Amino acid sequence: MSRISPALAAGLGPFLLGLALAAASHPTIAALVGSGAASRPLPVSRLAELALHHLTLAAAGLAVVSILGVGLGLFATRTRFASFRGSIDTVVAFAQAVPPVVVVALALPVLGFGGPPTLLALLAYGIMPTLRGTVGALDSVSNEARESAQAIGLTPGQILAYVELPLAAKGLVETLRTALILAVSVTAVGALAGASTLGTPIVAGLQNQNIAAMLQGALATAALAFLGDGLLLAIGGWVQGNRQRTAD
Amino acid sequence: MIPRLLAGLSAATLLPAVLLLLPLLHVAPNRLVTGVPVAATDALEAWLWPTVALAAIGLGLLAVGRGKAAAGIAGLACLGALALLLAGLGAGAAELIAGKPLATRARLASGAWIGITVLIGALSLAAQRARLPVGVTSAAAVVGLLTFLWNAGSLDALSLAVELRGRSDTLATAIRDHLVLALGALALAACLTGGLALWRRGRGAVELTVSGLQIVPAVALLGGLVAALSTLLAAAPSLRGYGLSALGSTPALTGVAAFLLLPLWRGQQAARRAACPGHLDAARALGLTRRQILATIRLPLGAPLLVDGMRVAAVQALGLATLGALVGAGGLGTLVFDGMAQFAPDLILLGALPIIVLSLATEAALDGLEAALRRRWPR
Repeated sequence: MSRISPALAAGLGPFLLGLALAAASHPTIAALVGSGAASRPLPVSRLAELALHHLTLAAAGLAVVSILGVGLGLFATRTRFASFRGSIDTVVAFAQAVPPVVVVALALPVLGFGGPPTLLALLAYGIMPTLRGTVGALDSVSNEARESAQAIGLTPGQILAYVELPLAAKGLVETLRTALILAVSVTAVGALAGASTLGTPIVAGLQNQNIAAMLQGALATAALAFLGDGLLLAIGGWVQGNRQRTAD
Repeated sequence: MIPRLLAGLSAATLLPAVLLLLPLLHVAPNRLVTGVPVAATDALEAWLWPTVALAAIGLGLLAVGRGKAAAGIAGLACLGALALLLAGLGAGAAELIAGKPLATRARLASGAWIGITVLIGALSLAAQRARLPVGVTSAAAVVGLLTFLWNAGSLDALSLAVELRGRSDTLATAIRDHLVLALGALALAACLTGGLALWRRGRGAVELTVSGLQIVPAVALLGGLVAALSTLLAAAPSLRGYGLSALGSTPALTGVAAFLLLPLWRGQQAARRAACPGHLDAARALGLTRRQILATIRLPLGAPLLVDGMRVAAVQALGLATLGALVGAGGLGTLVFDGMAQFAPDLILLGALPIIVLSLATEAALDGLEAALRRRWPR
């Protein structure tokens, strides 16, 4: 037990903060704050429905972003594709110059209202940081480790599975954390394109002065981000702990 | 040899395929509907084959060729193809809307956008291979080309130009507001990080808070700030006298600045650690004063890292300032959100393109400054 706790403790702070924020988004608490005339707090059922939509959309985007981003990152770090490495940073810089709101807006006339433009924005905005993070994490693996693995006769696939990935695990978890936070954030922006997410009460609240609902949406979105972050941190700590135990 | 030829061939066929298979223009009865797609043969007519040929030469040469001369020729071919493509699209659009009602719009379609992006990308790659400063060369080439075509009136019939003519005043105000908001937030965040750096014992707490803020989604932070401010103002209305308001620049500045704290803080801490204790001990042993150490060791080692943090923060500020329009702070986001509300693609583009251009220019400028600092003070 004493061995598990330090690993899980890594994610405990964000997780508890997330729970507190989620509790604060409960209608009875939010109603205390926004007591204006137009304030109508959302019932829990509506909030839960929005959170579920938000989670589904963000999880779908995150899954595609991690598979493509990490996958492309693995390709880019193979020696065969070394010539592509230089262009990655240029493309990353360009992709980051287009803020997610703008991607959502530009996708709107092409893909229509709702989920699709949000997902596109998630992909457009998430893949390049994930790719660069993966490349960075794999670059942090020392050449000595790779060469000694080669020297004892491991195949490239085995080197990747037993040497590179375990050694890069910490960086990879960091990359996935960034991707997760981006996914939750961009999904909230998707409310502007009519996707039904936790951003919806914020955007609608700004338009019709519904302060309580706006606050609920803001707190619940932030709660989702912190809960996800805490979860990934705990997973990262657990992976790290496992590795140390096998190494001992 | 054969793989290289294959790469050259596939690069050469890329753009002709895009231009011939995807629609280049959309002709619509007004600015709000998408309209019917127009293929290359009708959109470019006589301009098509010269454009396609030049693009194929440029991209093919870029994939096959080695050396500065080949890169230079490839770059010129790409620039020529871009000029022909834009001029051809302008002429095609003028012909397509001639004799139609005034509200008719000819809008650039997917093929045209991909073509333009690929050609500009190829141009930068060619500049890089030719050992020219990439950002300056390609920006000068594209801006020069656009200015020339604009003054010649070749682009007048494209819907983006029509939209721009109708809203040039709004656009100018929006760009100004956007820059004021982004720079204001950057200044606010820089002052705050500078102040926080003086609080030596609280470094851990600051690091935790600042990275925690980064986790909060931007829309949520802005919404939360508006809610908190309006509650505060409802409780203490006298605060309005100090210029505080629930909507507008107060929440926008605070919200954007909150996200800039992390890159600025990271840059500052990296700059602080740039001088290793050994260097500092040696300097002290030589009898240098604190001020001399700052000027001769800490600043030269730290300045590039500080500028790096500033670059990340500045690009983020320009992007986040778009969301300022959501809380009524103006800026280019106003055009984007108006365009979304009206479902008018040209208006969205009119707001979005300046944001992208401003971000790229800022990125390139601060990148250049960082490189110049590293050259000035080589490690």
